[in-house]
Amino acid sequence: MDNDETYLLLLLSDSNLPTGSFVASSGFESYIKHGFGTADAGDSRTGNKMNKTIVFMHNSINAYARSALPFMSDAHRIVQGIVRSAEYSRDSEKDLEPEEYLKETLQKIQQVDDLYDVMTLNHVTKRASKSQGVALLTLYSKGFSSPLHPSSSSDVKKATVDYTMASLVAKYKTCIRSECAPGHLPICWGILTGALGLTLERSQYLHIFLYARSLLSASVRLNEIGPYNAQQILLRVSRLVIEAEVENCKDLRTGIRLGLKSGESKDAEESRNFDKVFNGPANTWPLGEILAARHDLQHSRIFNS
Amino acid sequence: MIASSSNISKIHAGAGRIALSFHGGKAWLSELSATYPLKLLSPRLSDNGVAIVYALTYGGGLVGGDCIRLAVNIESDAKLLLLSQGSTKVFKNRIQQRLASVQRTFDHPSLKVQDTTTLQKMDFTISSKAALFLLPDPVTCFRSASYTQIQTFHVSKDASLAVLDWVTSGRKSIGEDWVLSRYYSVNEVMIAGRRVAKDVMLLENNEIDSDSRLNRSLKEKLSPYSCYATLILRGPMVEETITQITTRYEGISVMQRRAPEDLLWSLSPIGSDKEHGVIIRVAGKETEIVKNWLKESLMSLEQHIGVDTYRRAFV
Repeated sequence: MDNDETYLLLLLSDSNLPTGSFVASSGFESYIKHGFGTADAGDSRTGNKMNKTIVFMHNSINAYARSALPFMSDAHRIVQGIVRSAEYSRDSEKDLEPEEYLKETLQKIQQVDDLYDVMTLNHVTKRASKSQGVALLTLYSKGFSSPLHPSSSSDVKKATVDYTMASLVAKYKTCIRSECAPGHLPICWGILTGALGLTLERSQYLHIFLYARSLLSASVRLNEIGPYNAQQILLRVSRLVIEAEVENCKDLRTGIRLGLKSGESKDAEESRNFDKVFNGPANTWPLGEILAARHDLQHSRIFNS
Repeated sequence: MIASSSNISKIHAGAGRIALSFHGGKAWLSELSATYPLKLLSPRLSDNGVAIVYALTYGGGLVGGDCIRLAVNIESDAKLLLLSQGSTKVFKNRIQQRLASVQRTFDHPSLKVQDTTTLQKMDFTISSKAALFLLPDPVTCFRSASYTQIQTFHVSKDASLAVLDWVTSGRKSIGEDWVLSRYYSVNEVMIAGRRVAKDVMLLENNEIDSDSRLNRSLKEKLSPYSCYATLILRGPMVEETITQITTRYEGISVMQRRAPEDLLWSLSPIGSDKEHGVIIRVAGKETEIVKNWLKESLMSLEQHIGVDTYRRAFV
């Protein structure tokens, strides 16, 4: 990990980033309200509140990683394709007009985004995912993108990539505003981290880490655990869960043909598509799905999801 | 016309075809064919332009390696009620295939799944103003069973669809409670060629991690429920049913509970367009509770398929 990446990780893991995750409990509020995780719920290991949070966190991360990481990974790979193409295109600049290339990239992202939308059959999760997704793109365009035109920079290649990324994110945001694309969280996270140049591996890990931390802070706000407990869990328990789930899901893909110019061969991509019965995104926790969808039925609630 | 829609020239083991048309106020099964271990039976054609077909398997269950592939084509104005007889029992994996299924040919590469998995693939085409009511009994996976089910629905803009897909935790009588090895179910709905929903459920017992803190069994994840159902409704003939269920759902107000309810259900619209229908998920402590809930909630389908016909579902 070089210094740039360390610095990016520090930036992106700031809990003050305006991403709107503080209004999401990912179904935890509903889980508690419906009486789950109590001694009567049939789970012997949920004797106290701390265990309740840990059990929920475990199931929830497992389900989220399995359903969202394939999408995040594909979005990241599509965006990283721009960086690679910038590296190759010095000699063959006439290969594809930049405008055309950008358009094609946007279409691929949209395809991945659309698939996540039809696979997320839960209006509450969908709503939370969309509002956090667009917030990430706003964060990029307002907070991270380079205001300079490439001609005014000393490193022309890097500046060109930055410029293309800024234009890509701006265009995709317009697309989301006009409702041509849903703009879901995992896809937008893939775009953001891909545009910033964070490696896929780091991006996956950080995404699931932030998911876990956000769940724990929801638990604190719901008065299930104290702030010191949350740190204890994050330090000693979450880490194992995050590592295990990222490891399980890091190679999963959506099955959409990305048609990337470089990197993976077409054959390799095809054969993986045929495997999607075993290696695609899936919903692994139907109970969590029901409870998350029932969030809006709560008589009173403090979270939006 | 029917012959041209048939793209399986030779029927392989476990393959079946249903083609239903509608003439002079009656539904006609222009094709009803199946090969071992699949069996299709149509007891009679009822009066409401509805055909009833039971999809059965010899021996009342499926073993590891069995492959069922069913293609169903419902032509304009026809209505099909597709049922099973008793729950679909999926037996434990075994390395060897059934003798009779040796000749099975699944040349589509996307279906290259492990040989020990039981596979059910069903493709439905529902033409204009036609309807499919797919209301089978639940799938019951026995200890260590592995089951893959892939259902695709190609629906015309004005066609109707009621799809029930449910699974139980096993044979409770001998203590089985979510001890299956793998259950994978896909329901994909295409309306006028556009994919509007792809529901993929994966239930898996995997013991990769020896670390007990990381080992969450399927039972722990799904308890206290032992039956999970997914219901997809869309189209003019289920409009009233959707309205009734939605009204009930919106009337629910959850206060802090001390313990989970015996039955829990959720409803979400599919897409932002009302035309795309709804998806309903139900979980119950007993299969019977879920069955009763479904039977009750779908009662208004009677007006489209007839009281006697509806009575055949959820028995």
